Amino acid sequence: MIVCTFLKSEIMESINNIFSLKSLKSVLYFLGSMILLGGIWELISRITNNEVPSPSNTLSVFKEVMQNPFQDDPDYKGIGTKLLSSLSRVGIGFGLGSLVAIPLGLIMGSSKPVMNIFNPIVQILRPVSPLAWFPLGLAIFQDSPKASIFMIFVCALWPTVINTAVGASSISQDHKNVGKAFGFSTWKYITKIMLPFTLPHIVTGLRLSIGVAWMVIVAGEMLSGGMGLGYFVWEEGFNGGSVAKILVAIIIIGVVGLLLDRCFTQLQKRFTYSI
Amino acid sequence: MSNTESVVAPFIDVADNILKPVLETPTSIDISNVSVSFKTSKGIYTAVKDINLTVKKGEIISLIGHSGCGKSTLMSTISGMIKPTQGEVYANNKKVMKPGPDRGIVFQNYSLLPWMSVYKNIYEAIDSVLHDLNRSEKKELVEDNLKMVNLWDHKDKLPGQLSGGMKQRVAIARAFAINPAILLLDEPFGALDALTKSSMHVELLKLWNLDNREKTIVMVTHDIEEAIFLSDRVVVMNTGPAATIKEIVDVPLSRPRNKKDIIHSSEYMTIHDRLLNLLIDKFSIDDIKDIRKTA
Repeated sequence: MIVCTFLKSEIMESINNIFSLKSLKSVLYFLGSMILLGGIWELISRITNNEVPSPSNTLSVFKEVMQNPFQDDPDYKGIGTKLLSSLSRVGIGFGLGSLVAIPLGLIMGSSKPVMNIFNPIVQILRPVSPLAWFPLGLAIFQDSPKASIFMIFVCALWPTVINTAVGASSISQDHKNVGKAFGFSTWKYITKIMLPFTLPHIVTGLRLSIGVAWMVIVAGEMLSGGMGLGYFVWEEGFNGGSVAKILVAIIIIGVVGLLLDRCFTQLQKRFTYSI
Repeated sequence: MSNTESVVAPFIDVADNILKPVLETPTSIDISNVSVSFKTSKGIYTAVKDINLTVKKGEIISLIGHSGCGKSTLMSTISGMIKPTQGEVYANNKKVMKPGPDRGIVFQNYSLLPWMSVYKNIYEAIDSVLHDLNRSEKKELVEDNLKMVNLWDHKDKLPGQLSGGMKQRVAIARAFAINPAILLLDEPFGALDALTKSSMHVELLKLWNLDNREKTIVMVTHDIEEAIFLSDRVVVMNTGPAATIKEIVDVPLSRPRNKKDIIHSSEYMTIHDRLLNLLIDKFSIDDIKDIRKTA
């Protein structure tokens, strides 16, 4: 019942937002920004004598690519199928990474010794380019999809670990005192104080992680070949000699990345609270 | 003669033991020889030193003194948040080792959990302390206590949506909900405006009355009027470091007290002057002249 009314008000609010002056303004700004991008693109296309295809040419290639996006034959897969396979690998790697990163971050944040032991490891491994993990994964799993999941897993760890640890270590004395004064059990402390306090930090970490993961998957698929959007860019775009297809892929990758980021921004908003 | 005495003696002992609780109010808090020191980067800092204080059951005591005089530290030894470096604190006849549900605390900055509704804030405290109750009994307790502070209508709000006075009432309701024998208030009304403060004083005494005046209340404050209006005794502390008790001033005003009436009584004025003198004697104009002369 409560959930119901909550959802209702949420929906009402978003409907109101869509028709508000503020959202109209932001839509206009967005349109302006797209027009600017198209203009620059068109200009570059003219300067390079259509070496870089113009927006209108790219649009027709886009329509062509989108003809049967979810084609899933053994010899040819549509762009939608490729996108989904990339997304699923990102999802699995990111999910596994989060399952490790969140508890690890919580423990690091709440215990100084654990923090002191793990922090140097994190600091050494964090700056390593995600692509360097790919051959290692290939050597371990002897399988390129698994190797790319492994790569996503490793690089999605760090932002979440670090943000969660920072969050958990900054629980204020006031909140801790509540737990002490009312004799909260460890379980109650974790679920009612530590997790709710750390949640906004965790979501920030997840948001950064999914951004990295999405960036890395394309590069990984170029290396591994045979699957996903990265393969599309490399094989059909570059090797197939169609710059327009490369541009189409770039646009799709960008839009999907933006949508993923938006999802986590919404989560972030949901979990923030005023003091 | 000596023979009859020795025969009667054990009976007298028994009679004494029976009468004791009737004749004497039992001790609620006993602080003996307590000193608290902290290790800092500049060496050991002693906050309070050689404190002895006994508080009877049902008494309201104020700790008053300048900022940093260690009054909060002293109170934290009762709550168990700070362990005394020396000496012992007994609360409800048990040595204080750590915070416990027999001592309810109202913190200076309310310390409500901002991600939970008002209702949940109180429910979780009850759930933690009184885990033997079933769900509906716990819910009933939350309702009773929120109604007591007139906040039942606001039960679904988050603390961030409440005013300072309302937050403080939630914090007080939370402390009362677990029904502690001792209530510890750390500058509870410090952040409130004068009007809200006054009504909160009355509110607090109302709750104390409803409970048959059985709760012992220890309050840290630096508001003289507040201390006199609420307390039976006011403990004035010296300025730290190594603060000691300067004087304990009795407040023999009869209860129930009416704020408007008592401030004009001669008793009130005497106590007020006494406290004022104890607290600000150093800052009289004469002293400043003296300092100039010696300089």
